[in-house]
Amino acid sequence: MSDVGFVLAGYGVILGGLAMYVLTLLRRLRTARERSLRIRKEADAAPPLPDSGR
Amino acid sequence: MSQLARHATVALAIARKDALAELRGRHASGSTLFFAALVLLLFGFALGPDSRRLTDAAPGLLWLAIVFGGLLTVARLHQLEAEDGAFEQLALYPVDRRALFAGKALAASGAMLVLGGVLLPVVAILYALPIAAAWLALAVTVVLGAIGFAAVGTAYAALTVRMRAREVMLPLLMLPIVAPLLLAAVKATTAALTGDPFGELGSWLQLLAGFDVVMLVVGAGTYGFLLEE
Amino acid sequence: MRTRLLGIGGVLAVIGAAFFGLFVVPADLNQGDAQRIMYVHVASAWIAYMSFGVTALAGIAYLWLRDLRLDAVALAGAEVGVLFTAFTIWGGMMWGRPVWGVYWQWEDPRLTTTALLLALYLGYLLLRRLSEDPARRATRAAIVGLIAAVDIPIVHFSVIWWRGLHQGPTIGSPDKLLHPSAPLQFVAALLLMLGAFTLVWGYLMIRRYQLARIEWQIEEHGRVGRISAARRASLAAHTAPAGTSQAAPVQESTP
Repeated sequence: MSDVGFVLAGYGVILGGLAMYVLTLLRRLRTARERSLRIRKEADAAPPLPDSGR
Repeated sequence: MSQLARHATVALAIARKDALAELRGRHASGSTLFFAALVLLLFGFALGPDSRRLTDAAPGLLWLAIVFGGLLTVARLHQLEAEDGAFEQLALYPVDRRALFAGKALAASGAMLVLGGVLLPVVAILYALPIAAAWLALAVTVVLGAIGFAAVGTAYAALTVRMRAREVMLPLLMLPIVAPLLLAAVKATTAALTGDPFGELGSWLQLLAGFDVVMLVVGAGTYGFLLEE
Repeated sequence: MRTRLLGIGGVLAVIGAAFFGLFVVPADLNQGDAQRIMYVHVASAWIAYMSFGVTALAGIAYLWLRDLRLDAVALAGAEVGVLFTAFTIWGGMMWGRPVWGVYWQWEDPRLTTTALLLALYLGYLLLRRLSEDPARRATRAAIVGLIAAVDIPIVHFSVIWWRGLHQGPTIGSPDKLLHPSAPLQFVAALLLMLGAFTLVWGYLMIRRYQLARIEWQIEEHGRVGRISAARRASLAAHTAPAGTSQAAPVQESTP
């Protein structure tokens, strides 16, 4: 492999890895936000606890 | 001053209790020693019959065996407490957390010293090392290495003892931390055995001592948080 | 919105800096094109150290103030730091092969230190996964982060002495890059990449922090849900004859 090959491998993995991490993070964030919203809606719809004297 | 004396009394009492438990449950500590000696024997098989090569590698093998045996040792010292629920009671004692840590670390240092004291002659016999000529430097190295390993081990054993998969987590967390200790101890041992031709023994011992001090301070400072959790 | 702008700015900056480093700056006289890797390699290392510094400080602050938001900062720092440490090692290997002829150079103190750094913080992340209780997890993680942080300088010194006392072969160290005698363009390329990575780093830290906060809320909700379901079930058992279908939610929500 020539020097250029190593340079490309270096940049490719690092920048590609960075992009993949960003995308994974955003996807996880979106799922988490959706779940959190759904839970909040369910909590509003659910009957109140019989004993909520906390 | 009396405060310090009181702390020392607490530490000594805890160390004494651990030492007694070790001596009474002799089979556990005995099997750790046996395991470490067995590791040394197997290194001989792994590195072949060339005695020259084995002698060269011996300091590294000795310290690897001490590290492996030490992992079992520090884990055991806390496991006994956790099994009886004595760890929670220890946390209830109205004494300084640093004194508790000092006692635990003292007991662990003692156990590590025994480990080193047993393995050193084993290495000398198996790999033909002239340890008698350099006994003082070797003793200092083993003492410093034992204290450093015990300091890290006491903190990490307390940290992992109530965790899932603690058998894996303790070595996983500890091995990278003790890497500089391993390096310095091996270098000091090599220097001591070869008559210190480059005059580097002092530097490595200083590094070991520095490691000990740093880890003792950090361990003493954080042990209270671990007991409270 | 501001965070999104930061992210977009970071991505554009990284693309620009990579273009500058790859195509605008001339190749180094001694190292040839391989030297271009240094721009991402050194920038990654810098970011990684910064992340771990944040983790250690946030951990200490957590032990002091007991605020779980600080623990989320520590987690973000560790995860982003591990990512950039891996990039650092990869970049170092891709630079080492053409310049030194080997991927791994034991005599290079930085490479060895960085490898241990990766091991230390992978252990940190694993430890977090194996502890469920938030306060316990935060305490343990803070202590591990602290011990790791004080270990790093010791590792660095020991590895430097290892080489120094052993008179290893003198090798081209990354120091030369930052040497003032380096052409201004090289320094500019490195600083550009550093700035671009710092922007992306800020974006990642914020997003990872947000993710941790939301995930912990969901976790907390699960715990509260289990408790209230159990309470509901026990109330139902008291009012109605035992064994009715109302006791089902307990089993349902227990994983």
